[in-house]
Amino acid sequence: MSLAADPAARAVVHPAEAAEAAAAPLEYVGIVTRAIAFAADAAVVQIVAIAVAGTFALILSVLSLPDKFDGVLLVVGSVAYGLWLVGYFVVFWSATGQTPGNRLLQIRVRRAVDDTAPSAAAALLRFGGLIVAALPLFAGFLPILLDDRRRGVHDMIARTVVVPAPPGLPRSVLVP
Amino acid sequence: MSGSIVRGTGRAAVATLDAVLDSRLAGDLVERLAASPLAARAVRGALQGPVVETLAADLVRYRVADRLLSEGLVEQATARVLEGEEFEYVVQAALESPTVERLIATAIESRLLDQAVVRLLESDDLWLIVDEIASSPAVTTAIRQQSVSFADQVAGGVRSRSRNADTWLEGRARRAFRRRPASPPDSGAG
Repeated sequence: MSLAADPAARAVVHPAEAAEAAAAPLEYVGIVTRAIAFAADAAVVQIVAIAVAGTFALILSVLSLPDKFDGVLLVVGSVAYGLWLVGYFVVFWSATGQTPGNRLLQIRVRRAVDDTAPSAAAALLRFGGLIVAALPLFAGFLPILLDDRRRGVHDMIARTVVVPAPPGLPRSVLVP
Repeated sequence: MSGSIVRGTGRAAVATLDAVLDSRLAGDLVERLAASPLAARAVRGALQGPVVETLAADLVRYRVADRLLSEGLVEQATARVLEGEEFEYVVQAALESPTVERLIATAIESRLLDQAVVRLLESDDLWLIVDEIASSPAVTTAIRQQSVSFADQVAGGVRSRSRNADTWLEGRARRAFRRRPASPPDSGAG
């Protein structure tokens, strides 16, 4: 998909948005490709989480801890899972702009203003935006279908876009 | 004087003999003689007589076989036969003949082959060879490359289809919301 070429559409955008658009590439990735990449990432996250949780469950089963520790273990497990989930996306987005799922689909997340991976703060903000977009029955992802740069609510919040990343792209482009 | 006359006569006789041997008449004469019953009888008589034994004894006595081998004539003859087109024709004709085909079919269907296969499968050496080949770098590299190539092919198919689905779904959504169609990717180039 191209930049917004319609003069009328450009007239209503914010100057910062116009600068972002000027620095933007010519093509953006649509909702289906991004959904498949996210599903692949979700599979990786869950498989690892299940494997780790299963290992710990086996270990704990032979230790026969008192029942009063169940609540504590539940909290610790939930926090660990949350950290793992958030860390997975934030680290990959901020490091190279590509999660393993993105790499599989040859796409990457980049800042809207320049061709670099988002910062850790922006990546964290983007993950928060992802949850916000998913809460109202995934309605926050619908703008991807209508926006000229195929941005969802989380992209707008974190000022990011998703672009194709064919193999052989220079590392200097991927890593800021 | 008489010596020169004898030498001249001898040269004339040799020249005459050459002319006779080169003549067509001599060729016809030899052909008729070879095809005649007289020649057949002569050969038969020679083979029935002591000539064969004498010839064999002389071959041994004068070490004809050793001389042929030592002079490399056998090797040269063998090489000539193997490298010649005639040998290839002979082998090809033999392989295409129904007789050879029947012989091969008989050999395959025979119990001997089954027993050989069974004994081969029971041999530890065979599985040692199979293990060596299976774990060789060439084979593992080939399998790895094949697997990676297949995975790339599958991922490429998914990517291509998902891009098409992106475009299709976006077109539908834009029509539903009465938005203008998306611009082609290169419309903003500049």
